[in-house]
Amino acid sequence: MTTITKRSFLKTGLCAGIGAGAGMYWGAASAQKAASLSMTSWGSPAEVAAFNALIEQYKARNPNVAIKLEVVPSGQYYQQLDTRFAGKQAPDIFRAQYQRIGRYGQSGAAIDLSQYLDAGFGQDFLPSVWRASTFKGKPHALPHHTDTFALFYNAEIFEKLGIEAPRSLDKSWSWQKFISAAKLVKEKAGLNYAFAMNWQNSNAYRWLMYLYQHGGQLLDNELKGPQVNTKEAAETVAWTQSWFKDGLVPPNTSLKSSEPVQNLFATGKIAMLLHGDWQIPFIQDQAKFKWGVTYLPRDVAMAADLGGNALAVSRDSKSPDVAADFVKFMVEEESMRSFVTKAQFLPVRKSLKDKGLVYDIRNEEMKVFLEQSATVPEHLVSTIVRPTWDRFNAKLADELELAFTSGQSPTATVANIEKHVRSTLLV
Amino acid sequence: MAIAENLRGPAAGRPSAADARRYWLQAKRNQLTPYMFIAPNMALFSVFVFFPLLYALYISLREWSLIDTPRYIGLENYVRLANDALFWQSLRNTLVFSVATVPMSLAIGLLLAVALNRDLVGRTLLRSIYFLPVVISNVATAVIAAWLFNDNYGVINTLLQRIGLGPVAWLSSPRWALFSLIVTTLWVRIGFCMVVYLAALQSISPTYYDAAKMDGATRWQQFRYITWPLLRPATFLLLILGVIYSFQVFDLIYVMTGGGPGFSTTMIVQYIYQAAFVSSEMGYASAMGMVLFVMILLFTLMQWRVNRRVEDVA
Repeated sequence: MTTITKRSFLKTGLCAGIGAGAGMYWGAASAQKAASLSMTSWGSPAEVAAFNALIEQYKARNPNVAIKLEVVPSGQYYQQLDTRFAGKQAPDIFRAQYQRIGRYGQSGAAIDLSQYLDAGFGQDFLPSVWRASTFKGKPHALPHHTDTFALFYNAEIFEKLGIEAPRSLDKSWSWQKFISAAKLVKEKAGLNYAFAMNWQNSNAYRWLMYLYQHGGQLLDNELKGPQVNTKEAAETVAWTQSWFKDGLVPPNTSLKSSEPVQNLFATGKIAMLLHGDWQIPFIQDQAKFKWGVTYLPRDVAMAADLGGNALAVSRDSKSPDVAADFVKFMVEEESMRSFVTKAQFLPVRKSLKDKGLVYDIRNEEMKVFLEQSATVPEHLVSTIVRPTWDRFNAKLADELELAFTSGQSPTATVANIEKHVRSTLLV
Repeated sequence: MAIAENLRGPAAGRPSAADARRYWLQAKRNQLTPYMFIAPNMALFSVFVFFPLLYALYISLREWSLIDTPRYIGLENYVRLANDALFWQSLRNTLVFSVATVPMSLAIGLLLAVALNRDLVGRTLLRSIYFLPVVISNVATAVIAAWLFNDNYGVINTLLQRIGLGPVAWLSSPRWALFSLIVTTLWVRIGFCMVVYLAALQSISPTYYDAAKMDGATRWQQFRYITWPLLRPATFLLLILGVIYSFQVFDLIYVMTGGGPGFSTTMIVQYIYQAAFVSSEMGYASAMGMVLFVMILLFTLMQWRVNRRVEDVA
């Protein structure tokens, strides 16, 4: 019987560790064939910096590979990407919202990545975003990060008016309490408007979180038929419509407006802002007052919006294997940690969530977003990942816009949305 | 020379085979020369106008989301278009916008041109100021206009509030949004109309006015019977360009209102853009594009015929 001494165990372990580490690095550096890749994305300065830092890391590991990041304004991003696909000139790697992956998967624009992934690759990812990155069960993108909404508030105005922001998810405001706080702000803080919501620029789907909070849903439980022409949905339209009718939100913050609502908050024109975690760097830079973040209001249920993006490899890529390798690198635990903490996003790996993260700025506020992200309804995720979602999203925006700005009644609005569900979403 | 010889007839004798060949070549060259002159233009037009036009027609008969393979669906897009209330509303908005902007920009442009055609202190500076929005990109103009009209921090509302008038929802109320767009369009267009009219005014010989004055014509009579008829070609050009511009207006609206609130400022090109790039319905967008093309073509042909008839009578 061989006795393993403490010294020999340590020696063996050390050698094995060095060997494995060197092997991994050597393997990565030498195995990668030469390629020149392009990647396209939109993003804030913090996101772009985080992307570029990771690209440099990958290039250091793989000196044969050149990667160029092309940053496109978010408003024109998808039209430019689609046009490039039409011209067979799409970049090798592209970033896309989870709501869009189904469409790119269905058309074959985003390739099936399962051939480059080991079995069980998706196990560490949150099930909702992994599912959102697949089409017919095959991964057509890899989940990169998520984000969600919470309520930014002007802490100085809240203190002055004696308004206390909820400190835990289970104590979040009801819809009524939220509206009371908004009315108080409007009456007593000398502001023309109390708050604003970020649903401009094709982000109408964010209205759905209120629908789920009120006990409604767009599709039935089997996801086969519409379930939106209901009392719950009409009441949700009426509630969000009342924000405009009662003058609680600036009229130019409806869905078709191009008003950057974060500017209104940062310049003190409104006291509350319903927006996502990625706005933290901007507000940190621009707001000259004390501010905080609290939970979304809730009604019969709590629900948040599924935000975030995945990375996909395009069918036009000349080196899809290298592009897939880069995407795998981008969603590795350490890469993900680096990206989300620098650009203020939420991780999509369970292991990272469990270990906890330290953000570059506003760590406490990021915890609110992290908690809030756990309230995204599974049914909502299943609804918005349908390949026809973006076409439906445009129709949803049209109908809500008519309700908010042109007096279309809530019942007519939900009846029209139901028609669009049948003719567009369920096609 | 060879041609002249050939034309002398049988008395001059039969042309040799070489002469006949030379004659044939010369005739061919003469036929080809005009085509060679227009060939570069035709090549550019073919690539950038005719081919896209035919391709749009091809796409309009298909269902295509840009990233998938087009699927032939016959006239389905055109049938859908005929029954699409939003298409008709955007067409109505476009007509209202055109009727409001084209005659106004022509009238104000003409007034300014007449005023600035006289000896006036600071005339050059004023002409430059009025013309400035024409040379600036429409998007930049729209951004400036959006700031001016902004509900929350716009210059116009700030001034209104200072004199005790409440803020107006210039871009976010269906009642005011189209008005704001019309005002901005006039701001952009009158400078162009002014310059074209100014050039036309300066090309009218002063002898007509001298003769009219000798006959005792008033200023109005001089304008009515000399200036206005001689400005007809400029007016025709501006009318056609104005209508085409109004039917194709996009950038101003995209930046200022995005077609909203509701559909109150959704013009036909805005709707085409939305169908093509927001809803990814390229076939439907192409069908609308074809209808817009036919409408502008018919209008231009109609105006052209009317103008020619008036000129023939004159």
